[in-house]
Formats: sequence, C-alpha cells, structure tokens
Amino acid sequence: MPEYVPHERKLTLKVVYYGPALSGKTTNLMQLHTLLQPQRKGELMVLETRDDRTLFFDMLPIGVRSESGLELRLKLYTVPGQVQHDSTRKAVLARADGVIFVADSQLAQQDNNANAFENLADNLQKVGIDIEGLPLVVQFNKRDAPGVLEEDELQSRWADTPWSPLCMAAAINGEGVVESFRVLLDRLYPILDQEFQLAEVEGISSDAFVRQLSMVG
Amino acid sequence: MRNFDDDPTLAELLPPQRQQDLLQLLQSLTGKPFVLSEQLRGDAERVEFNLDGVGWLSCAADARLQAPAARLVEFILTYVGKYRLAANLHHDIAEASFAELQRQHAALQESETRYRQLSEQLQVQVAAQVKVIEQTQQELYESARLRAIGQLAAGVAHEINNPIGFISSNLRVAEDYISEIKEGIAGDSEFNALIEDFQALLKESASGAQRIASIVADLKTFSNIDQADFIACDLNGLLRTSCHLLQAEFNHVLNIELQLGDIEPISGYPAKLSQVFYNVLDNAAKAVEAKGKIRVNSRRSAKGQPEVVIEDNGCGIPDVSLARIFDPFFTTRPVGAGTGLGLTVARETMMAHQGEISIRSREGIGTRVTLKFG
Repeated sequence: MPEYVPHERKLTLKVVYYGPALSGKTTNLMQLHTLLQPQRKGELMVLETRDDRTLFFDMLPIGVRSESGLELRLKLYTVPGQVQHDSTRKAVLARADGVIFVADSQLAQQDNNANAFENLADNLQKVGIDIEGLPLVVQFNKRDAPGVLEEDELQSRWADTPWSPLCMAAAINGEGVVESFRVLLDRLYPILDQEFQLAEVEGISSDAFVRQLSMVG
Repeated sequence: MRNFDDDPTLAELLPPQRQQDLLQLLQSLTGKPFVLSEQLRGDAERVEFNLDGVGWLSCAADARLQAPAARLVEFILTYVGKYRLAANLHHDIAEASFAELQRQHAALQESETRYRQLSEQLQVQVAAQVKVIEQTQQELYESARLRAIGQLAAGVAHEINNPIGFISSNLRVAEDYISEIKEGIAGDSEFNALIEDFQALLKESASGAQRIASIVADLKTFSNIDQADFIACDLNGLLRTSCHLLQAEFNHVLNIELQLGDIEPISGYPAKLSQVFYNVLDNAAKAVEAKGKIRVNSRRSAKGQPEVVIEDNGCGIPDVSLARIFDPFFTTRPVGAGTGLGLTVARETMMAHQGEISIRSREGIGTRVTLKFG
C-alpha cells in the first residue's frame, strides 16, 4: 500500500519484480538503472548474492518531485526466485503496490512459470493483497533465447486473464524492460489517482506520471 | 511494528556517537568543522538515503565543502543501510518463521491431542464391543444350552409318558385283581396279611406313578420349545407348573402361598414365561432357605392388565447388588452355582412380551418382584 507522510509531502510506492529463478528479474532492474533517466534516481542496491543469485533482494529507488511539491518515490524491488527463499519473497512482497511478473519464455521453463505464479498468488493472499485489484504486469522475458514459445501462443493462452496483453522482453539486451515498466505505471496510476487525487490536487496527469517516471536518457 | 523496508532515520543508520566520529574525520581531512543534523539549518546540504532525505550537512567555515562531504556521507550511508536492510529483513523473516513454527507446533499439538483422544475413545469402543461380543456369545451359548436341556427334557418326557401310562393303568388293574383275589381267599388269615400289604404297596406305587406323570406334564410345559409363534398363555397355569417344579427341586420343603386371581390369558411363549417364573421363584426359594415364606400373587392391574407379584421374606438384596441385578453374568452365588443369567433372561423375555420386570428389596426384610404385562 502506498505510504504517504502528509507533513513531509512524501509518497512512497513499492513495485516488486517477481518470478521463477533465473527469469531475469535482477537484469530487468539493472537495465532500468541504466536506461531510465527520471528526475531523481538512486543507487541500485544489490543486497547480497551467492554465485550471482539474489539472496535477499535488489532495490532501485527512483523519484520525481511534482510542481505542487509532492515528493513521489518508487522503490523497485526484486525477490529471490529460488524456491527455498519463500519467506524472503513473502516479506518483500508485503505492502507491494504493483508487481511485474517476469516469466521465462523458454519452453522448458513453463512449469516453473506456473509454479512461481501460483506462489505469487499464494503469497499475495498471505500478505493480504487481493490479486484482482493489484496492478500486475506479466512479462515474458528471454525472447532472444532459442526454443522460446511463440508470442501468439502465449498471448492467446493468457487472453482470458486480467493480465492480458502480455509484455515481451529480452532484458539482457534492454528490450521490453522500460515498456513493461510503463505498462505497470499505466495500471498503477488510476489507483493512486483515486486515493491521492493526483490529477486534481497535485496536477499530475496519467501521461505525466508515466512519462516522468520512465523517462529514457 | 516497523517493516524492514521502512525508510530509516539518520540515527537508525548511524548512531550519534558514530556520526560524531564521522564528523571528526571530515574535520581532520578538511580542517573545517561540520554539523550533521536531522533538521534543516541555513543553506545546509541535503543528505539522502535511497532518495529519502535523512539529514542536513553544513560547514559554516566553507560552504563549498558541504556538497562533496554530503556525497561522502551518502556513500557511507548506502553501505551502512545495505547492511541494515539485510539485517532487518533477516530479522523479519526469522520472526515470521518462528511465529509460523509456533503456529505449526500448536496445530501439531492440537492434532496430537485429538488423535490421542480419538485413540482412547477407540480403545474404549473396542473394549465395549469386545464385551458385547463376549456377552452375546455367552448368551448364545446359554440359550443353546437351555434349548438342548429343553429338548432333552421334552424327549425324556415323551419317552416316559408311554411307560408311565401303562404302568398306571396296569397298577389299577392289578389293584382290581388283588381285590378279587382277596375275596376269593376270604378267611385265610395267613394270606390276608400279605394281600393287605400288597394292596398298600400297589397304592403307593400308583401314587408314585401319578407323581411321575405330573412331573412329566410339568416338564412338557416347561420345555415347550416347539412353539415358535405366540399362543394364548394361561399365566396361572404356568405359575402353578413352575411352583410344582420348584417344589420338586427343593424336596417339597418350601412354603409357597399361591393367590391366583382372575386374569386374562396373554399371547406369548409359554415355555419362556415359565422360565421367567421359574427363575424368579428359584431366586426366592434360595433367599428364604426353606425357612421363610414365598407368596405368589396374580391379579389385574389398575388398567386391567395381568400382573404377577412374587415376594419372599428372605435375605433380601443389598443396594450395591440391586443396581447390577439385571447385568448378564452378575451373580453373588458361588462359582458354578449360578449363571448370572436368570434375571437377564427374565427381563429380555418380559421385554419380548411388551412387559416389564421390577424388583424392590430390603436387606434382611425380603424381596418383591413385580412382572407387569402390557
């Protein structure tokens, strides 16, 4: 849930990159760190890794200060994808305002995708978040890898879910990363607008919100 | 409770003592004093952690030093904060895991308790079932035994009936002959004494034969096992027969007073009802030990239904035993002397006849058994 500190005019949001192990969550975040040039961008905090695998989480803070003086910050988190780190995933997922689910496009990884998505649904329920009301983007990553499922097939498979259409990405090359992030901002804005009257009170339109936060250098 | 990802304050990232150490180092480096505060003062430089302003750094002596010094502080805070975040997250997870473990432990204990209770209940149920089976087996055995005895008695009665018939008849004819012989040899005093003795012998034999015939008749009634359907039963007749059998069993020493009223015949199994009467009477006979009195009374209840009351002034039944009197195999008699089934059978038979049996007793005063027929 968004954290708003009225006397400091600070609004902090939490976006979590979720998904199976090795699907490219950290890569997404590193690419965002490289590509995005928002008004304010913090350090990419890579907490702890073992053999280049995330143990706790990675975090990238970005932010804008509106003309009305509202200090809007987004903290982008990744979770560890490996099955054994479920407690960590749950702790990071708590109070998320949006989730980008990074799936692996390779044919052999489809079971892992399904399990991870189920795990996401489970953990959302455990931390008290309604998956239906949560801004959620599903990104199929690694489009550049050999033996991936056709986009048409993926799109049609997910067509009946609230998360259609899917985003396609090759995060390693920076493709689709910012696009996925923009889709999430798009889905996040109406909820924030309803709660904080971004358009009326703060003068931040949906377009400005997405543009300013996902400005590319 | 604070969450691991809540923005930390300056003091949380760096305790005041450490802040002073850092400022001291900055002063050593630059030769100028610095002030780090959570409140904005003058033109101080903002110090951020994850884009969140945590404090303000000012250098009154040289404001140009503020910006690079603030970046240095931020650089240090980033690494301090990284450690803090990891530690907090680890703490949160450990606590959550511990809570989860405790919950699971409680659930496990609860389920263990439940299963233990269940197993105890099962054990009790199994024990009860075993008891029921044992009882049923014993009752089955008893009823088969009684049935065998009944059949034997019926067979014996049938076989004895014929010879006793012609023995009685022959004895009567023999008595007639001896009378004629007596007339024919009238006056011969030597034979007269013999013949009179002979007549007495024959009379005694005839009386004995009569008794045998009566016992056989009782046996036939008592062991009336062939009748599978209810038939009209004359309760008074059955009571009489039972009393005869009882007297025979106790060598005719019992003082039994029969007060048989005018009651309707009921529909039932005569053999089984006889058994009921006999069982109750047998208990009464054993209670009085040939010294007291047994009173058998049949009458109509207030509703006009037949009612039989058998009372004695014998030893009575203690309260402890009275509570268990109908339990199968409950007996106070020495091993082998009683089956503990007499009253059990009586109650079941009464239930089969829509009747009921009730017992009142005072130790040392006597016992009254009431048999009500529905």
